[in-house]
Amino acid sequence: MATHDNTEHVSDATDEAVGWESKLRYFLNSDFVRSAPYWGIPFVLMSIAVYGGTGYNFAISFTDYEGLGTPDYSTLDLEMYAQALSSDAFIAAAQNNLVLLVGFTTICLVLGLFLAILLDHGIRFSEKFQTVYLLPMSLSFVVTAQLWLWMFNVESGILNLVVTTLGFNPVDWLGNPSIALGAVILALIWQFSGYTMVVYLAGLQSIPDDQFEAARVDGASITRTYLRIIVPQLKEASVSAAVVLMVFALKAFTFLYALVGRYRPPNGTDILATLMVRRAFKFGEWAYSAAIATMLLIMALGVIGPYLYYQYKQGGL
Amino acid sequence: MGQIQLTDLTKRFGDTVAVDDLSLDIDDEEFLVLVGPSGCGKSTTLRMLAGLETPTSGDIYIGGDHMNYRVPQNRDIAMVFQDYALYPHMTVRQNIRFGLEEEEGYTSAERDERVVEVAETLGIADLLDRKPDELSGGQQQRVALGRAIVRDPEVFLMDEPLSNLDAKLRAEMRTELQNLQDQLAVTTVYVTHNQTEAMTMADRIAVMDDGELQQVASPFECYHEPNNLFVAEFIGEPMINLVRGTRSESTFVGEHFSYPLDEDVMESVDDRDDFVLGVRPEDIEVADAAPDDAALDDHDLQMDVTVVEPHGDQNVLHLSHPDQPSADDALQAVTEGMHLVTRGDRVTVTIPPDKIHLFDAETGTAVHNRRHDQEADFTQLEQ
Repeated sequence: MATHDNTEHVSDATDEAVGWESKLRYFLNSDFVRSAPYWGIPFVLMSIAVYGGTGYNFAISFTDYEGLGTPDYSTLDLEMYAQALSSDAFIAAAQNNLVLLVGFTTICLVLGLFLAILLDHGIRFSEKFQTVYLLPMSLSFVVTAQLWLWMFNVESGILNLVVTTLGFNPVDWLGNPSIALGAVILALIWQFSGYTMVVYLAGLQSIPDDQFEAARVDGASITRTYLRIIVPQLKEASVSAAVVLMVFALKAFTFLYALVGRYRPPNGTDILATLMVRRAFKFGEWAYSAAIATMLLIMALGVIGPYLYYQYKQGGL
Repeated sequence: MGQIQLTDLTKRFGDTVAVDDLSLDIDDEEFLVLVGPSGCGKSTTLRMLAGLETPTSGDIYIGGDHMNYRVPQNRDIAMVFQDYALYPHMTVRQNIRFGLEEEEGYTSAERDERVVEVAETLGIADLLDRKPDELSGGQQQRVALGRAIVRDPEVFLMDEPLSNLDAKLRAEMRTELQNLQDQLAVTTVYVTHNQTEAMTMADRIAVMDDGELQQVASPFECYHEPNNLFVAEFIGEPMINLVRGTRSESTFVGEHFSYPLDEDVMESVDDRDDFVLGVRPEDIEVADAAPDDAALDDHDLQMDVTVVEPHGDQNVLHLSHPDQPSADDALQAVTEGMHLVTRGDRVTVTIPPDKIHLFDAETGTAVHNRRHDQEADFTQLEQ
């Protein structure tokens, strides 16, 4: 018995020996704490700027905050969301957003894939061609907008020059509400198809030659080789390119703003982002805009979420 | 019918000549192995046969038909690629079926049946619904084979198909491939840089170097009657012993030893003086050291064993001359596994006169090859 007591006593002593001071010392010496200055500062800044801002926006969206003054947090409700969802302007903007999202993304992907296949199929000087197509991507939205504004000009734009030369009446590209959105999408495609092309080209060039050769020996035509063998292997490239394009489509505000230089984009091209900014900074409807912003965020998450999940399933995260 | 005829086939890439004036006839149902070091043009030859490269000049005939301008699909060939080239997004079933889908005269059900039939032949029927990345190397190899045989072609073209497998699996697949080729009776052209594969599988070996055909013959002939130095060196493991030297009267004088040449050897040397003497390691006889030089025969040498490599069934001995112990191995000899020799031993080495090869030192052409018990009936390739 005596021995038993002794051992207990000893173990107590060891417990005490590793007291809070040593534990603190261990903690302070851990990799976690010692690396904190490096990841901690950016983390805090990020938290305040991004997540803090998001949270504040979220909070405002439940109030009735309008005009000057401070938000009143006493009555929180979903009134602004209801108001937005029942407003024609919101619905129209959401529809435009959807058209932009789907149309722009799809055409960009298809065009990019087409260009990538052409380049990969051995057009000479492909390096230079790549640059030609990728160059628009390096331009800022403001430059693209200005450039296309000139080209879209009703009287002197190059597009109408072509149209009238062909014997048609000049088209009011940005003034006609049923064409304006198409015109905007066209300009955006011009800017972004180079990007999708590069993503696809990288994907294509990672496919070994013997896949093409095996298909040739198997007797598949070129079209069939691409449709059955090559394009299905570009799934990953398509997904990542599509996510980037969709996020750009959601935040195409810059382009629209630069196109006209004011909060009111051309008729028929109003999207959620422009509606939100207009409501907030022109009319001071902070709460209403915050509600739109929250819904925009949810839409963006709706795009990114599945992608992250897909990546996670593939073991990429 | 799957006989193949290549006449004066040449392929240039810019200034590089990949294949130089190659003429080769391959019989129906023959297993021909194209062997040579990397860059010797063997793969290019195969790819020209497949229709993946266009010959710069020369003609290709398969089954008597001119093939130069036919697309691969219409050549009645199937190819197995080194990296298998399986389509990663398709199941094994879809992979094998893909080639069949362009083939006419099958209904959909017949295609499915054929795929299963082929899979059963290859023992991969239970893997049909898996994707290639879920298969082991050997299984992928089988799928690649399945994709080739499903179309029932006249000619198989194989580009180093076993090089990605581990040694044990490679030996297994070698046997399996041979059995399969026997069973299907399809002309096969097999490209490899591995001389063991060439020796063990081929009906005939075509040895290439630097775009040129060096010798086409059975493995036996390539081994025992090489056309030239290159073939002698390339075929055989461990490598043939080669000793440079000159002839003085009827004696070959090398760096480490001199060796009297027999009459029948002398007949073929003409008035050449510079030679390379070759003898296969297993033809060298190793005995205990003689008490003194007087006991040595003309064809005997005293040598020291510097390294012993036991292989179980045989031992490879590295031998050096007693006077120049630090020099490179003068000779390598193979002895029986039970013949125990230890490093540092002095031994008497006999080079039997009927086992030697003599090559012209300048051109590398074989001047004299070892004698056989029975005269083999073959014609030597014209140089």
